[in-house]
Amino acid sequence: MADKLNLKTKSVSGPTAAILLLVALAIPPFLSAINLNYGILICCFVLLYVVAVSGLDVVFGYSGQISLGHAAYFAIGAYGSIMLHKYFGVTIVFSMLIASAVATIIGIVIAYPASRLRFHFLSLSTIAFGEIVYQLVLQSPSAVTGNSLGIFTEPISFFGFKLDTYTRFYYYGLAVMVISLILKNNLINSKTGRALIAIRENAHAADGAGINVTRHKVIAFAVSTFYCAYAGAMYAHLVRFISPDTFMFRQSVLFLTMLLFGGTGSLLGPVIGAFSVTLLNEALRVAEKYQMFIYGTLMLLVIIALPGGIYGSLKRLLNRFKRKEAR
Amino acid sequence: MLARVLVSGLVIGCIYGLIALGYSLIYRASGLMNFCQGDILTIGAFLGYTFYAMLKLPFAVAFILTIVLEIALGMLLERAVIRRLLGKKVDGTYIVLATIAVSYMLQNGAILGWGTRIFYFPPIFSVLSVRVFDINIQSEAAFCIVASVILMIVLHIFVKYTAYGTAMRASAMDAKAAKACGVDPAMTIALTWGISAAIGGLCGMLIGPVYGVFITLGAAIGRKGFAGAVIGGFGNMYGALLGGALLGIIETVTTAYVSSIYKDVVSYGLLLVFLLIKPTGIFNERAIAD
Repeated sequence: MADKLNLKTKSVSGPTAAILLLVALAIPPFLSAINLNYGILICCFVLLYVVAVSGLDVVFGYSGQISLGHAAYFAIGAYGSIMLHKYFGVTIVFSMLIASAVATIIGIVIAYPASRLRFHFLSLSTIAFGEIVYQLVLQSPSAVTGNSLGIFTEPISFFGFKLDTYTRFYYYGLAVMVISLILKNNLINSKTGRALIAIRENAHAADGAGINVTRHKVIAFAVSTFYCAYAGAMYAHLVRFISPDTFMFRQSVLFLTMLLFGGTGSLLGPVIGAFSVTLLNEALRVAEKYQMFIYGTLMLLVIIALPGGIYGSLKRLLNRFKRKEAR
Repeated sequence: MLARVLVSGLVIGCIYGLIALGYSLIYRASGLMNFCQGDILTIGAFLGYTFYAMLKLPFAVAFILTIVLEIALGMLLERAVIRRLLGKKVDGTYIVLATIAVSYMLQNGAILGWGTRIFYFPPIFSVLSVRVFDINIQSEAAFCIVASVILMIVLHIFVKYTAYGTAMRASAMDAKAAKACGVDPAMTIALTWGISAAIGGLCGMLIGPVYGVFITLGAAIGRKGFAGAVIGGFGNMYGALLGGALLGIIETVTTAYVSSIYKDVVSYGLLLVFLLIKPTGIFNERAIAD
């Protein structure tokens, strides 16, 4: 991993970003032209997964902490927003933000004592938190979360303009994704971002260089919980129905899988990961009862064969070509 | 009432303890965590059911066959996945995810092989229940407790007094020095995974007759085994057993006297509280510290 010590973050160059954005803008008209409305829904999922996985990338790819419980924050965002709207009449745009803020506060409270735990034990603490949240939404007091039956809600509306079609939601999701990627890019290229990378590479050395390790670990965790919770709220108001089985351990593993498949510590990695894993899961639906088995097998094969993720492997391939040309 | 609650707490507590013991062995030997132990338990329960109830083999034969197959499964897992990834010097997360991927394969492979319904073991013993201190205990439950205790003693003797056990402890303590003394660390690690899987299979054979055999039997037990291991002190064999037993009893008491709703919240809450406040557990195990 020669590029691991490269402290300059890889941003996407202007022309590439413009081309990608144009392609993204053209997807819904194209899909509706070939009468594939369901395809637009899948793309909406991809967009919100990109937001969640980008958040996870801040905590894992940049500060080097593992989390196997981010489904919990996804759940807090989703249930929080629905319940704020349903029981307190908060407008949905605001309920999404408030729920995400609440998730962030909970994340900070957990991350502060957890930040001194080492790798495996940190992962256990996140699993434990994920299970607690899952159990609480599954068996809530007086069924405020709808328990196993789930809970219904309405689409997002901006001053009466309802995001009630997949296409409308898609453009909103695209905007959210672009904004969250820009914010992430700014964070990573700031002093805080460099401190996070220093902690990932060597926490003791970072400490010696005067970086407050605990504080920065907590910041990274807080950012990731906000991203994940907001993505959860988006999910809730896109599908308009949520039930606990969306927020199981499996979902946390899915986020981490997307991140590792796409590649960590980059802007495009989460995009590639969310896109490819979502498409793969949809494609595997054809296999019905073999779906999860094939998914597990593929996951294992990719981990063994491509430990740098798709993005990392592509880059290594490109580098090899470049080196050959230079000779 | 309390006595009966304590006994059923001890039944599941023994299983948690044994699973936690498997985690501790692997952690001591290789510094890794195994997230598919629960599904190895499920496979063990299904294998046991197949041999005993479907093929009508004597229980002892089914028992031994299951354990042999599970040892093979554990060693295959170590050889084909873990060692390969360790050889590539990948980030620890990949190993965690790899064991999770294997757990998906085992669980969904079991669905393909056995389907999603619950299987009930035919009675193993001709007596349905035994009477101890004025309470009736289901024979299978009593067997589960007795067999767990025997297994703990056997493992203790194995680790403390046999050449393999000494080699395992030596390479856990200092791999380099152990190698200089002629111990093959790769072999001991493979052996550890084999033993851990055998424990999983055995747990499946013990708990299957009490709870019934179904696809998700092991998943929750596997995760709660982590709670038992952490409560006792991760990496400590006796801590694992104590932590597991305590967890089982606390869980059952909560179910009986508070509400079954909060059973899992209490277990995972304990895990979280221990990790955040006292990560070295009751036995103050230092393996976890830097």
